[in-house]
Amino acid sequence: MRILLCAAALLLTAACASGPAQSTDGPTDGPDVLRVLAGSEIKDLEPLLRRAGSEAGVKVALTYTGTLDGADQVASGRADGKADATWFSSNRYLSLLDGAQAKLSTQTKIMVSPVVLGLKPAKAAALGWNGKPVTWADIAKAAGDGRFSFGMTNPASSNSGFSALVGVAAALSDADGALGAEQVASVTPRLKEFFSAQRLTAGSSGWLADAYARDPSVDGMVNYESVLLGAREPLTLVYPGDGVVSADYPLTLLASAPEEKKVLYGKLAAWLRTPAVQKEIMTGTHRRPITGGVPLDARFGAAQLIELPFPNRRSTADELIATYLNQVRVPAQATFVLDTSGSMKGGRIDALRQALVALTGADTSASGAFTRFSERESVTMIPFSGAPREPVPFTVPERNPETVLAAIRSFAEGLSANGGTAIYDSLRTAYDRPVESGHYGSIVLMTDGENTDGSDYADFESHYRALPEEKRRVPTFVVLFGDSDVEEMRQVAELTGGAVFDARETSLTSAFKEIRGYQ
Amino acid sequence: MAVVRGVIGSEKKPFFDDPRVRAAFARHGLRVEVDTAGSRQIVTDVDLGRYAFAFPSSVPAAERIKRDRGATVTYSPFYSPMAVATFEPIAGLLAKAGVLSNSGKSHQTLDIKKYLELVAKGTRWDEIPGNSAYKARKRVLLTTTDIRTSNSAAMYLSVIGYVANGEDVITSDAQIARIAPVLAPAVLDQGFSESTSEASFDDYLALGAGKTPMLVVYEAQYLAHVFAGDGAIKPDMRLVYPSPTVLSKHTLVPLSAAGDRVGRLLTEDPELQSLAATYGFRTTDPRAFAGLVAKTGAPAAADLVDVVEPPTYERLDRLITTIDAARP
Repeated sequence: MRILLCAAALLLTAACASGPAQSTDGPTDGPDVLRVLAGSEIKDLEPLLRRAGSEAGVKVALTYTGTLDGADQVASGRADGKADATWFSSNRYLSLLDGAQAKLSTQTKIMVSPVVLGLKPAKAAALGWNGKPVTWADIAKAAGDGRFSFGMTNPASSNSGFSALVGVAAALSDADGALGAEQVASVTPRLKEFFSAQRLTAGSSGWLADAYARDPSVDGMVNYESVLLGAREPLTLVYPGDGVVSADYPLTLLASAPEEKKVLYGKLAAWLRTPAVQKEIMTGTHRRPITGGVPLDARFGAAQLIELPFPNRRSTADELIATYLNQVRVPAQATFVLDTSGSMKGGRIDALRQALVALTGADTSASGAFTRFSERESVTMIPFSGAPREPVPFTVPERNPETVLAAIRSFAEGLSANGGTAIYDSLRTAYDRPVESGHYGSIVLMTDGENTDGSDYADFESHYRALPEEKRRVPTFVVLFGDSDVEEMRQVAELTGGAVFDARETSLTSAFKEIRGYQ
Repeated sequence: MAVVRGVIGSEKKPFFDDPRVRAAFARHGLRVEVDTAGSRQIVTDVDLGRYAFAFPSSVPAAERIKRDRGATVTYSPFYSPMAVATFEPIAGLLAKAGVLSNSGKSHQTLDIKKYLELVAKGTRWDEIPGNSAYKARKRVLLTTTDIRTSNSAAMYLSVIGYVANGEDVITSDAQIARIAPVLAPAVLDQGFSESTSEASFDDYLALGAGKTPMLVVYEAQYLAHVFAGDGAIKPDMRLVYPSPTVLSKHTLVPLSAAGDRVGRLLTEDPELQSLAATYGFRTTDPRAFAGLVAKTGAPAAADLVDVVEPPTYERLDRLITTIDAARP
């Protein structure tokens, strides 16, 4: 009975009900262990998977990663030898990457969940969407008129956001087949209308659900049906009549897996498709069974769900994500509070420079290309040591972003380490700056040590609690690095509705990349 | 017990996983383990050095592997015609659109020539007059697997290619250049397609007409469930046959002596042959299959007259590459 969770960078989220993902407390490999690179979406299957040890003779060691990052790892071959199988909510984007097909062996679909809209019941009733046929065009119209607000994950980090984006674009484009790049351009104005109502973003579907639960001003979420059905407060699910995009969770054997792991894969896949386990997946995680023998519960509704065509070309998928980030979404107001104290000297300040430079377009991998600072984004740098330095603001323009990206890059390259560590005075400086209207604000706090100068955590907490609501809505994502005070950093994240990212075992670059999904 | 590992088309995996099949091999001292891959992947991507046999789902792919690997024999223990799995309301709409008709025999046929005319016109489901059953804005398109990876899609291309080529097997690059633009929308406009026939059939069974109103399948995939009486085939599901159709001859290429034994046993062992029939395959001796059809009342075509030959592997490969280059 051992499930091994080697979480990548996301250590724990303050609001996360499922609790911290722990690093391993047992062997990460062994003759009866199948190493699976997985999307965090399947985290809710952990209790079930623990039983695979006794019932299927397979212990499952899960390592979580983001959708595009995971696709990158598989297609580039970096997953070879480290993982035997993958389990993402969909292999569609992955299959579009060059060289990916050759990396994949047997794929076995395990369950299904469409991405749909869930609204607070009163809001759904007010919009007249209870049990009435609704299309994405109706939804986009109401969104454009400001009649409801919603949260959705970042399409570059999470499959639910990506599926939703594809679905909405396919439905609003009036296309009768798969989207092409030209259609992405022509549907952009309608996408802007729809996404003008987005008030929450997140790097993972689970975190989105938690952030939604904390924020009573948001009316609903675009998320997996399974997440919406599992929400703490009941939601009314709106199934657009013109179609959806569904996740089908293929457990996929990597072609590089050794023979003995292939046997384990076969056992696990067969066990997961037995009627008893399929039924349990349905009742326990609100996902639809993939095998025909298990009758569907009434809560899934009787309506036929039209599946919208998914692009069959990587350039179209990429164009769609880039259009969302650079033209469609509510732009980000990202503030970086960066420790440049004396303890950062040497390799640490180098790592910080690199992590920031990667966000200016230097990282050209599939996952990296979408983490760079986006067009229309406002970026403020507040380096600090014994006191906060003067904030340095940048605004990436809507066209020709290169000049500003280059300016951010040279700012990052010019960072040097010296002096004490005034964490809370600096964080306070970030919170005291004006909130830009029409932006989605967030703060990244990176520090490698304990607070040595200025106000302390208690001072910050009382200052924060006295801030106006619009400022208190800004979450702080803290990055653990070097000798961070883990407990205090966790408190900051919890207080502000942010999350903790651990760069101590990985790298600042990967932690920053992951945080970009939440900004 | 000697372990023999093979790489096979995904649609044969349930057969190889069957405890009865495993027991039949065990009686001959063999434990057969299989990985699945698309037939074209088996030719191009899979490291065949790791396997004792390759078992793609068509003669062209098998012939190519045989040549590449210097094998001397191949075994074709069973075959299955390409068919279309659909649903009652969809079948009704197809009949209304003039594409589906009674063959005059036991089964309904989908007229590929008329279907291609519908594709050329870009007809959408919600444009079929009198359609209140399936108001999707999607085009009327058969769902296929990925032409780049999967044999069932390649078999389907053989059929529509034959029709587009003026009812003739494709034999020249000039013909390919002429018909590729006609065929491309039929496979590419559906968008993302699954890489294996097993995955797309999962969608058909579990998600129904919303995702997959009509799917190109191996007849065996559908009949296996009918023969098993496992409840997966619901009362509104229908099996129809394209006209013309093509036979998918599952052909095993031995890559070692142990692989050769597997091929011979599949072809000659009466028990393995009759087990193959329970998986919906038509075998050398037609009695087992016919018996199962009679016993279950399965909607299998008794005799298919309009059957065409697939082009050679190289021609088919060229056709796939040419069409794929036109991705939208």
